[in-house]
Amino acid sequence: MEDVIYRYQDQTWHLSPHRAIFWQEEQALIVSDLHLGKGTHFRKAGIAVPANIGQNDLYRLQLLITAYNPSQIIIVGDMFHSRENNDVAYFRLWRQQFGNISFKLVKGNHDILPDAVYATLNLEVFDTLCIRDIHFVHEPCEEGDTPGYTFSGHLHPGVVVAGAGRQRLRLPCFYFGKHCSILPAFGRFTGLATLEPALDEAVFVIAENSVLKVN
Amino acid sequence: MKNKARGWQVITEWLAARDRKPFTFQEEAWKYYMQGKSGLVNAPTGYGKTFSLFLGVVIDWINKHPEDYQQKTKNGLQMLWITPLRALAKDIARAMEEVLQELNMPWQVGIRSGDTPIATRQQQKKMMPEILLITPESLHLLMGQKEYPKVFTHLTTVVADEWHELLGSKRGVMVELGLSRLRGLAKKAGRPPLKVWGISATIGNLDEALDVLLGQPDQEAVIVRAKLDKKIELQSILPDEIEKFPWAGHLGTKLLYKALPVIMNSKTTLIFTNVRSQTEIWYQEILRQCPELAGAIAIHHGSIDMELRVWVEEALHTGVLKAVVCTSSLDLGVDFRPVDTVIQVGSPKGVARFLQRAGRSGHQPGATSKIWFLPTHSLELVEAAALKAAMEEQLVESRIPIVLAYDVLLQYLMTLGISDGFHATEIWEEITNTFCFRDVTEDEWAWMLAFLSTGGDALYSYDEFKKLEREGDFFICRSRMLAMRHRLHIGTIVSDAMLKVKFMSGGFIGMIEEWFVARLQPGDAFSLGGRTLEFVMIKDMTVLVRKSNAKRAIVPSWMGGRLPLSANLGKMLRRTYNEALSGRSDMPEIKILQPLFDLQEQLSHIPKDNELLIEMITTRDGYHMFVYPFEGRLVHEVMAALLAYRISKRQPITFSMAMNDYGFELLSDQPIPVSEGDVHDLFSLENLTLDLQASVNSTEMARRKFRDIAVIAGLIFQGYPGKHKASRHLQSSASLLFNVFKDYDPQNLLLRQAFNEAFFYQMEEARLRESLDRIYNSNIIITEPESLTPFCFPIKVDSLRENLTSEKLEDRIKKMRPQF
Repeated sequence: MEDVIYRYQDQTWHLSPHRAIFWQEEQALIVSDLHLGKGTHFRKAGIAVPANIGQNDLYRLQLLITAYNPSQIIIVGDMFHSRENNDVAYFRLWRQQFGNISFKLVKGNHDILPDAVYATLNLEVFDTLCIRDIHFVHEPCEEGDTPGYTFSGHLHPGVVVAGAGRQRLRLPCFYFGKHCSILPAFGRFTGLATLEPALDEAVFVIAENSVLKVN
Repeated sequence: MKNKARGWQVITEWLAARDRKPFTFQEEAWKYYMQGKSGLVNAPTGYGKTFSLFLGVVIDWINKHPEDYQQKTKNGLQMLWITPLRALAKDIARAMEEVLQELNMPWQVGIRSGDTPIATRQQQKKMMPEILLITPESLHLLMGQKEYPKVFTHLTTVVADEWHELLGSKRGVMVELGLSRLRGLAKKAGRPPLKVWGISATIGNLDEALDVLLGQPDQEAVIVRAKLDKKIELQSILPDEIEKFPWAGHLGTKLLYKALPVIMNSKTTLIFTNVRSQTEIWYQEILRQCPELAGAIAIHHGSIDMELRVWVEEALHTGVLKAVVCTSSLDLGVDFRPVDTVIQVGSPKGVARFLQRAGRSGHQPGATSKIWFLPTHSLELVEAAALKAAMEEQLVESRIPIVLAYDVLLQYLMTLGISDGFHATEIWEEITNTFCFRDVTEDEWAWMLAFLSTGGDALYSYDEFKKLEREGDFFICRSRMLAMRHRLHIGTIVSDAMLKVKFMSGGFIGMIEEWFVARLQPGDAFSLGGRTLEFVMIKDMTVLVRKSNAKRAIVPSWMGGRLPLSANLGKMLRRTYNEALSGRSDMPEIKILQPLFDLQEQLSHIPKDNELLIEMITTRDGYHMFVYPFEGRLVHEVMAALLAYRISKRQPITFSMAMNDYGFELLSDQPIPVSEGDVHDLFSLENLTLDLQASVNSTEMARRKFRDIAVIAGLIFQGYPGKHKASRHLQSSASLLFNVFKDYDPQNLLLRQAFNEAFFYQMEEARLRESLDRIYNSNIIITEPESLTPFCFPIKVDSLRENLTSEKLEDRIKKMRPQF
């Protein structure tokens, strides 16, 4: 599994096919839209999706932590899908392995747990976050809304690539716009929203175990 | 066949007083019914098929209550009459009520469908009418109510009307399950077995249709055939110059100018199109070319407001309409007497459907039904010729019953769970006596019970799954919220999320698919129900519009309009092509095509009986391989995937595939490695089963099938009416669920069902083997035409495509660019 190193905004970004970015200068792992607890939320409502999706997502996050050894983890929103359920309890246990790593959650529209719960999970909670003039906001904003460059999530971005022989593929992607970058959704129980990037914007698609620049 | 019993006497006297005499098949049906038999009545619309069973029940009742049948009331539900269409129920109920009134019988006839008002339902709950007309969905809803068995304590008879329509669909499976429960209830209460009857138009497998209805073979059961010959005449509307007629297309409005005189010279014309968008376009186009018809033509399809549909149906009865453009929404139903002409635009894709549509005109017994065929592109004329031949030989297709529809069974079990709960052993006994589930295994049954009670067989310590509660052998749903949600989900007709369309000022116009609305900008004009509307906004899941005077309007294309050609018509098509291509045919539809065939011969080749033609053509799109087996769309779909898979084993390569009823195309971005020397191997029977499985697995066929399955099995939460926000965290698409199951729960039975449904060939495997064998032993001619040929053109322009690849994803992406 190989990541791709992308230099942008004077920083070094490692784009991982596991749908995460490792920010070298800050030793920070950046993920977005985990939607932990979504499967359980469905199951509580009588919809029998597989029971182990959330645990599997956390296992993938664990592998990334082992690989990059980050000092902090930035979650750009939608960490938990809905109200408190047993996946939250599982996270609480899982979290204890990484007591020395700080988890910074930039709240998204799905993050509706009471603040007290985040505290017990040892999560620092922010509405927006700014590190080295890089801003983290869950929902991508229009140009000019924020002073500097922004990283967002929320959209679960995907892009359609096409080629000869009427071939078309729709794949999750990292998108780097002029003012804003959008991260792919980390959780596997999430859909895709198709973006239409401009010609001069960088797009990296995730193709199984590799990351490829397509634009 | 004289019968001295009182009931028989009453009815024949009643008929005689109206100068009518029972048809022989009606008397037969009455006789068998009184003997307590079950069976099937095979009769076309318009010949008293309703009376063949309804009067049987009445006769029997009078026989049993000769003295007081005119006084006895509150007898409880005697007969359930299952009908596929709500609109049908109303007309049938009216006909029954008239008879009962004239006989002075105080029986009630009730209707139970999605449209039945709550007050009526409450009333029915207190006292059921003697006869209840019901849709399959409403029957299940009834079984989802507390103490539902009480409703059926007097039930003696169930009739499944238009059984040929239900058979072969999941709604038919709903009927099978409903019947299994009703039989079980009767048996449990020690009542005599139910009399179960079907009414069916002619199909190729009437015997099997009866078996499906009865579940278990019944030596006593009978098929009563109305031997009424309906004469049908087919005439094609031919273009003046075939050279200028398009090679591909599906609209047909080019020939409207030739259809207008037909409409003008008729009293009332039904114009059948295959998809809803086409009706909108035809309606607009008729008005454009013939403005004087404004007010005298109407449109009828499934997405139009019911009130408007009802108005159109009434107007058809009274004869005030000159023409109605419609889809299959008018296939069924009572007769519209004034209709004297039927025009079919494009291929009807099946003999039975064509016969049914033709039958909508010329109702007087003995009259000839005339149907006009209007082609949308040149080669479709061959289909007209094939239809003619098939009709002459009375080659009517079979409706293949659905087996092992786990999704419908899961839904049904939940339905029983939300009413009184169920004992697994009891229901197991009942469902294994149905045709659909006779081969279900005990493992699968255990899986389904687990799916509903523990959410799958794997138990996780952190699990909070809730649906059915298990108490030993007993399963019940104790959550009012889940029960309410399930009630809203009962049914097997899955459509895209539909939004209501309303005027700003109020006034409902119809329904439209969400994905279509998503593309609209405020101010855009689109047409619906024959009106041009301006999109204003979406509010509360309703599309608000105002009237528009725009000249150009977008026509919504409703998905799911594509029908495969039936096997029988496919066979006939192959034969007709053979005759046409050898110049043996003298049908006008074929003769007019001669210049096209000449061009085909000149550019490429015309295959003989013992030949298979393959055309290799290079265009800007890439490298095309067109293959023409003339076997019908379903076989081509599987054969294309099989060939693509076998070629892709030779080297890493990616294909997109398209097919129609006479051939298919493999398209790639690189030259396709097939030559005269190795082409035969592609059709080999060796390793067929394995290769087929691999090829279907590597396409998206199963993913598409999974969509309906996920909805029917209750995995897709569609929200409560008027309560959208509360449910937003439960939304997901079928495609996403498909991925999740594939990755995390590959053994899931519903996934397997999706693959089974994609493997439709299993039912057609014999035909596939036969045709592969034929091709393997025939001459395969490969041509390399310089330009597109008349044969390949209609396939090439088809945009609905399947993909298959043996390349690495990474390698494929490297050759691609983002789409802007």
